[in-house]
Amino acid sequence: MTQFDFGRLLHFWETRGPDIVGLVVEHISVVAVSLLIAMIIGVGVGMLVWDRPLPRSTVIAAAGVALTIPSLAMLALLIPTFGLGWTPTIIALVMYSLLPIVRNTVVGLREVAPAVMESATGMGMNKFTVLFRVQLPIAWPIILTGVRVAAQLTIGVAAIAAYVAGPGLGTFIFRGLSSLGSVNALNFALTGTLGVVLLALIVDALFVAITRYSTSKGLRA
Amino acid sequence: MTAVTSPNASTGYADGVRERFFTPRRFVTPLVVVIVLGVLLFWLSSIQLDSIEKRTLNIDYIVNRTREHLGLTIVASALVAILAIPTGIALSRTKSRVVRALVLGIANIGQATPAIGVIILLAIIWQTGYSTALVALVVYSFLPVLRNTLIGIQQVDENVRESARGMGMTPNQVLRRVELPLAVPVILAGLRTSLVFCVGVATVATFINAGGLGDMIVNGLKLQRYPVLITGAVLVACIALLIDWVASLAEDRLRPRGT
Repeated sequence: MTQFDFGRLLHFWETRGPDIVGLVVEHISVVAVSLLIAMIIGVGVGMLVWDRPLPRSTVIAAAGVALTIPSLAMLALLIPTFGLGWTPTIIALVMYSLLPIVRNTVVGLREVAPAVMESATGMGMNKFTVLFRVQLPIAWPIILTGVRVAAQLTIGVAAIAAYVAGPGLGTFIFRGLSSLGSVNALNFALTGTLGVVLLALIVDALFVAITRYSTSKGLRA
Repeated sequence: MTAVTSPNASTGYADGVRERFFTPRRFVTPLVVVIVLGVLLFWLSSIQLDSIEKRTLNIDYIVNRTREHLGLTIVASALVAILAIPTGIALSRTKSRVVRALVLGIANIGQATPAIGVIILLAIIWQTGYSTALVALVVYSFLPVLRNTLIGIQQVDENVRESARGMGMTPNQVLRRVELPLAVPVILAGLRTSLVFCVGVATVATFINAGGLGDMIVNGLKLQRYPVLITGAVLVACIALLIDWVASLAEDRLRPRGT
């Protein structure tokens, strides 16, 4: 039982300011690195399988399995091989990000109107150029939506990774638990949790802007 | 968040076409689970376990932890279904846009909240143990199911509603005989997500002393006994996959005929 005291929370934020900022930076970094890796793998795989039914459904089903595995179990399975810390965290986050990214890449690439692709072919483009210069730009907003979903997911999962010595705001949440009964237990857990929520909301808003400015000019509404 | 509504519709064949119910594809998940469990059993029997490992790696202990885990998951999901679906239906009846926007907004913020944070905060301000974990699970899965119920009813085509009224149905009949059946797939997708989610959060419940298979993972990690750790993690993963599979069967069975 801990009583909530707002004054004490403010004091906590004042004294722990630098720590909090450090953890936020760590949290953002681990999510950003994972998303970048997941995007390279996910969009790459999506481009390879989008027009082949069997590999496509296999890849999507496999990514679905990865997403179904609970995060603590996933991290636990990675520990014997990769140890504690950043490495298992990033691998787990990449695995969770793959499904939304691969699925949206496939959906985006398949949604390009056949007439558009035919005109591109008629202009003398080969399959490869059509993919990179026509399909990918048109699919881009949908792909980014997938990345955005993945971002929301990984920001939350990264909090659990603190248990296996991963980086980020989860550290504060677990410190709250381990100091259960002490004065600052609630402050630690509350700061960690609120930090994650705020981060998720800010990143979500950021993605709206990124989608707007990275979409091909001709396609912007 | 438009393109991916249910992250767990893992196979992605929901094209609206009613396929044969028992296709070979149906049995891929249980087959994989059986193979994985077989490999695990083979591996465990081939290594020499020490006394610490023997204490956890026996049938009694594992069955008890699994029972706790499933109990937590199923009770929480049932509570969520009982609470969230009627609330969603009631909210869909309001004409007020503000109320609906508010609910959806809160649901989005709720989704951004890390489950581990909710569960640990509750443990700090209330108590540790099973009931706290249950409350945390219900609070956490409540919003997604509520949201899906609301969206499921809202997405019913206005023309369909109008024809139902034109056929002389009262608002109540429209709800029961038209809107709800059409919303069933979306509502079930929400429940399925929340079920799988509960399996995951129930793992984390070990941190606040609520039992479950998370115990094995944490013990294995703390005592550096990887066989214990891996057994716990593999069992949790298999349970999640099987529950998702069962939910997918239910989803296909309960989908209204004709769609």
